[in-house]
Amino acid sequence: MGKTEKTIDFPAFLASMAHDMKNSLSMLLNTLDEVFLTCTDKNCPSHKQLSQVQYEATRVNYNLIQLLTLYKMDHQQFSINISQYPVIELLEDTILQNKPLLDFKGIEASIECDEDLSWFLDRNLISGVINNVLNNAYRYAKAKIKIRAAEKDGFLVLSIEDDGRGYPVEILGTGEQTKKDVSFKTGSTGLGLYFASIVAMMHKNKGREGFITLGNGGEYGGGCFTITLP
Amino acid sequence: MSNGYIDKKFLVIDDFPEFRRLIRRMLESLGIKDIDEDGNGYSVIQKMKAKAYDIILCDYNLGQGKKDGQQILEEAKHRGLIRYSTIFIMLTAENTMPMVMGAVEYQPDDYLIKPITKEILMRRLEKLTKRKADLEAVEKAIRKNEYTHAIALCDELVGTNPKNILEYLRLKSELCITVGRYDEANAVFEEVLSMRDITWAKMGRGKVHFLSGEYLKAQEIFQTITEENKTYMEAYDWLAKALEELGSPEEARQALIMATEISPKAILRHQSIGRISYKIEDYDTAEEAFKSAITIGKNSCFKSPTDYTGLAKALVKKDSSEEALAVLGNARNEFKGDKEALLQTVLTEGIVFKNMNREEEAKKAVQEAAKLSEGLSGKIPVDAAMDMAKACFEMGEKEAGMKFVQNVIRNNHDDNKIVRMVRDVFRDANLEDEGENIIASTRAEILRLNNEGVGLAESGRLEEAIEYFEKALKGFPENKIINANAAQVLMMHMKKNGKDDQRLYKVSQYLDRIKKSDPSFDRYRQLLNMYEQITTSGMELKT
Repeated sequence: MGKTEKTIDFPAFLASMAHDMKNSLSMLLNTLDEVFLTCTDKNCPSHKQLSQVQYEATRVNYNLIQLLTLYKMDHQQFSINISQYPVIELLEDTILQNKPLLDFKGIEASIECDEDLSWFLDRNLISGVINNVLNNAYRYAKAKIKIRAAEKDGFLVLSIEDDGRGYPVEILGTGEQTKKDVSFKTGSTGLGLYFASIVAMMHKNKGREGFITLGNGGEYGGGCFTITLP
Repeated sequence: MSNGYIDKKFLVIDDFPEFRRLIRRMLESLGIKDIDEDGNGYSVIQKMKAKAYDIILCDYNLGQGKKDGQQILEEAKHRGLIRYSTIFIMLTAENTMPMVMGAVEYQPDDYLIKPITKEILMRRLEKLTKRKADLEAVEKAIRKNEYTHAIALCDELVGTNPKNILEYLRLKSELCITVGRYDEANAVFEEVLSMRDITWAKMGRGKVHFLSGEYLKAQEIFQTITEENKTYMEAYDWLAKALEELGSPEEARQALIMATEISPKAILRHQSIGRISYKIEDYDTAEEAFKSAITIGKNSCFKSPTDYTGLAKALVKKDSSEEALAVLGNARNEFKGDKEALLQTVLTEGIVFKNMNREEEAKKAVQEAAKLSEGLSGKIPVDAAMDMAKACFEMGEKEAGMKFVQNVIRNNHDDNKIVRMVRDVFRDANLEDEGENIIASTRAEILRLNNEGVGLAESGRLEEAIEYFEKALKGFPENKIINANAAQVLMMHMKKNGKDDQRLYKVSQYLDRIKKSDPSFDRYRQLLNMYEQITTSGMELKT
């Protein structure tokens, strides 16, 4: 008798677990939404804690979405679905989706985008990237977030700025090093930025591909995340 | 306008009652009153048959081993339960589902990823109702079979609403393909591709090549798409179709097997694998594929009697005739009341009996089949009719077999592909000479009918010409030339004597038959224009 063979396909196992967890989280988040119908900040003493629960659950949800997507990309089970979308609609939808949390944190989010601007992109992937950046921005932003979108030299430049303390100097730039920065010690996995840069690169047109850049400063003096799509 | 969805009829489909309740409450808080719900893929279809819903919110995952949302959408479309104006929104917990990736042929109007908030739902409903309203005129034209007009309306929309240009171009390309305007469809695809590398436009170019008989070019395009986009299922099916036309059934089957590995639930794909495997004499795989088709097909609208007859024939080849008879017994149960299915089953039973040397029963089966087919002639799909002819010839029932083939020829006398199939069947049955005679005499008869009818029309005897061609249609119900002439004389008469609703309806039926048989038939386009001139003109109604 030899040793027991390794029979579990661990990544597939993880993916299937992540899928299951995501289903539970969806229920949890929806139930929370229902709770908030009756539990407002005025009449309900637990409102603040519940909002905190909602925020953390949403974070886990976005992480799981990214994990699953990356898994499928890695296993060639994913195709990008590029179509033409009005950019303003995409941004407004994303803000709406995040409204409860923005309100909770007392953050005002604004959009600067030409009404007629439309672009070729994968709606689902790009809104995933924005959701994730917004979600991080809550942690650091004090009171303001601005999403800007405009066409520049044949690219769509989409940036999210906040008035927080900005990104750490080590990761400023094109975010390419984020992959190396996965560290269980610091708890910073860099998954979000890695995901964003993969998504950007999957947007290709006529030999050019998308990219992300991280900077500090801008109108509000905080962090500035930019995704540029051909 | 912004809340044009308030008075609509809603259907919410999810297997979790709590989730249905949640969506219901969201909808109610938006002021919507007419909301039905269901959690089961089978009763959903019944509900949709009983009530014409305007907006359907359907969860993708409806439980293990159950139909999923995509299957419900496909079945509902197949059964005509989804009108152009119906809004179908898929709800999903995941963002890597095929429809989110745009990789399925039947796309829902939109998808929403859970968790869903009331605000997002409201915005999507607003947007979708507006979008449907923009397309209302196009859809109305399509409903009236005014395709030329519908295409022109798409062009107008492209001009007035450039933000949604892709959607209109896609619709236009679909319409162009429907009415056989392949060059124009191709121009649309080229236009889209010049803007952006978009997969449906690439698929479209492949389809146009395929439909124009340029199978090699089509195959190259579909091949590239499957390589670039491993999850784009539709591309595998078309790739297989092209490969089959190119005479590479083994490779075609390989493409389909790859696709089933990625997406194992598509019944049509298993059917094709079974059919091709039987053809290339790989009876083990044929058996396996038909068995999968039968299992998946339970309660599906895509189940077919050929799943059972195909399996039975494969079993006969494997010397399992008893099992084959049992399979056919199941088919009798599964398709109760369906005469065409019964006919196919009975004929296959005949083949099995013959193989078991039970001559008496084989003979009886053929007699029963002959009786059944009398009430059916004309309505049998070409493939099925050819199968039945083959079965008859195999059992030495020449006369019965000839009847089936003759019907096929009468309705498709100038379709080269079908005539080639007919010739193959005759050759396999050693009836080549007789076959050529039938083909030649049928062609001669159509020519004669055509000349006489046209003669009547040209000498101004339009009423007589109408009567003549309508009578001819009885013998050649699906033949495109007879249908074209019948439509033309009716319209010539109306141009002279005024519109007549009943006759206009007949014309649209005849045009529809031409469209089904050969949309690229050059006279079809002229006739369609003529038809639309009459329907859209202020011409007096004949009293």
